[in-house]
Amino acid sequence: MQPHELSLAAAADAIRARKLSPVELVDSVLDRIEKAEPHLKAYVTVTAEQARLAAREAEQEVAAGRLHGPLHGIPMGLKDLIDVADAATTASSRVRADHRAETDSTVAARLTAAGAVLVGKTHTHEFAYGLTTPQTNNAWDQDRVAGGSSGGSAVAVAAGTATFTLGTDTGGSIRVPSALNGVVGLKPTYGLVPRHGITSLSWSLDHVGPITRTVEDAALVLTALAGHDPRDPASLATSAADYRPGAGTDLTGLRVGVPRNYYFDHVDPEVEAAVRRAIAELETLGARLVEVEIPMTRFIQATQWGLMVPEATAYHERTLRAVPELYQADVRILLEAGELMPAGDYLRAQRSRTLMRQAWARLLEEVDVIAAPTVPAAAAKADQSTLTWPDGTVEGVSDAYVRLSAPANITGVPSLSVPVGHDTTGLPIGMQLLGRPLGEPTLLRAGHAYEQTQPARRLAAA
Amino acid sequence: MSAAELTPPEAALWADRAGLPLRADRHAAVAATANHIHSVVAVLRELDFGDTPPAAAYRAGEEKNDAAA
Repeated sequence: MQPHELSLAAAADAIRARKLSPVELVDSVLDRIEKAEPHLKAYVTVTAEQARLAAREAEQEVAAGRLHGPLHGIPMGLKDLIDVADAATTASSRVRADHRAETDSTVAARLTAAGAVLVGKTHTHEFAYGLTTPQTNNAWDQDRVAGGSSGGSAVAVAAGTATFTLGTDTGGSIRVPSALNGVVGLKPTYGLVPRHGITSLSWSLDHVGPITRTVEDAALVLTALAGHDPRDPASLATSAADYRPGAGTDLTGLRVGVPRNYYFDHVDPEVEAAVRRAIAELETLGARLVEVEIPMTRFIQATQWGLMVPEATAYHERTLRAVPELYQADVRILLEAGELMPAGDYLRAQRSRTLMRQAWARLLEEVDVIAAPTVPAAAAKADQSTLTWPDGTVEGVSDAYVRLSAPANITGVPSLSVPVGHDTTGLPIGMQLLGRPLGEPTLLRAGHAYEQTQPARRLAAA
Repeated sequence: MSAAELTPPEAALWADRAGLPLRADRHAAVAATANHIHSVVAVLRELDFGDTPPAAAYRAGEEKNDAAA
């Protein structure tokens, strides 16, 4: 096994035992980037030289007995919405051609302090306002979409061109590409991981979190990321925690909610079958399955759009007037049309969110976790704009990808996407586990237990 | 087209009022997208909000009636 194929946890163990040096690991990942990146186009920028320098420093620290923790010497990619001092944060947009970040975002600073080594900035759907990331190819089939908006981040982890990455998630943008590329994605509780220094799409829906090869890896990254930062007004006053799940797979007593409505409606039969098999596996591990009713489903898309559309337009107010032609057509039209939404619609969406949060809080008194598909179908063809369901309903690909993700953005509950197999054409399928606010330990425990029962996953050949 | 839908000239006027003058070749596309967004969001008018406050800023995990504070 090459170092770039290792999970974060395995690489960290090898570095701690001095069986692997950060230099070997970073070189292996950079070699992999050289080979795979021409086909994948996951990166906006690869910072090979700085990465090699940082790896040498990390190696020297290991030799001197100064190990920073499990992220020490681990190669990472950051979605190019995340500020890194002295580097451009392009948001994969021509609007940001001359950008330069003055300081690190909170998450970049925390990961650097934990010893992680930046190998590059990954592609996003322009300004995170879309679900496909058209610049980047799916790691398993180059003719298919990467998913988005954190497409580059998910593809890099799936193909071994980063050991872990960060993504952002406003309507599924961590979980959707994670599911479509067969990797783990965690959208944490709203406010758990500070967003200071991250380009916003929609302040009241934005989250930042890890994309990794295993659930355990996601827990290790979350441990380094979580914690209060007053510069993010939504930041929660939580104390430091170790999120690494225990080794046990016993889920006795865990109540897993299985939705009877919404999450299995208009879902591809192969996706449904894979997710139901995974839910049955949770039951085998001791969990108790409880049928649940998802509340207020008629209002999910309306609430998501009512919040996101005007907030995104507000963020781009100046540049939309100064350089509208520099935006891609799909993003520009949404930003322009957002100017026409009355404040009353925005307030109704905010009030609807209050009701939805209350209803979900009641729902999450009945169960500890809700298990559901992450996305209703595997990765679409790159030129495909709609999905047609058996009852004749035609749905936009992006609408379908947001549909099952949005409730966790609106309510702020955490959601963990875990790979649960591949369809008959070889495309990955994801299951999401949703929990109570700050219920990450429960999600990580359940996801990790499930993973222990499955064969180790391989990298995408790319 | 329902009476509530904006025509391209109306969309141009609304955008102008919002401080975003649009070139003539943008009017029809912006009207169509704005009308689509409106059709999605208008569903929220079915809800009876009573005294429900907006969740403009909130702390996840704190389920209180004054969550907007």
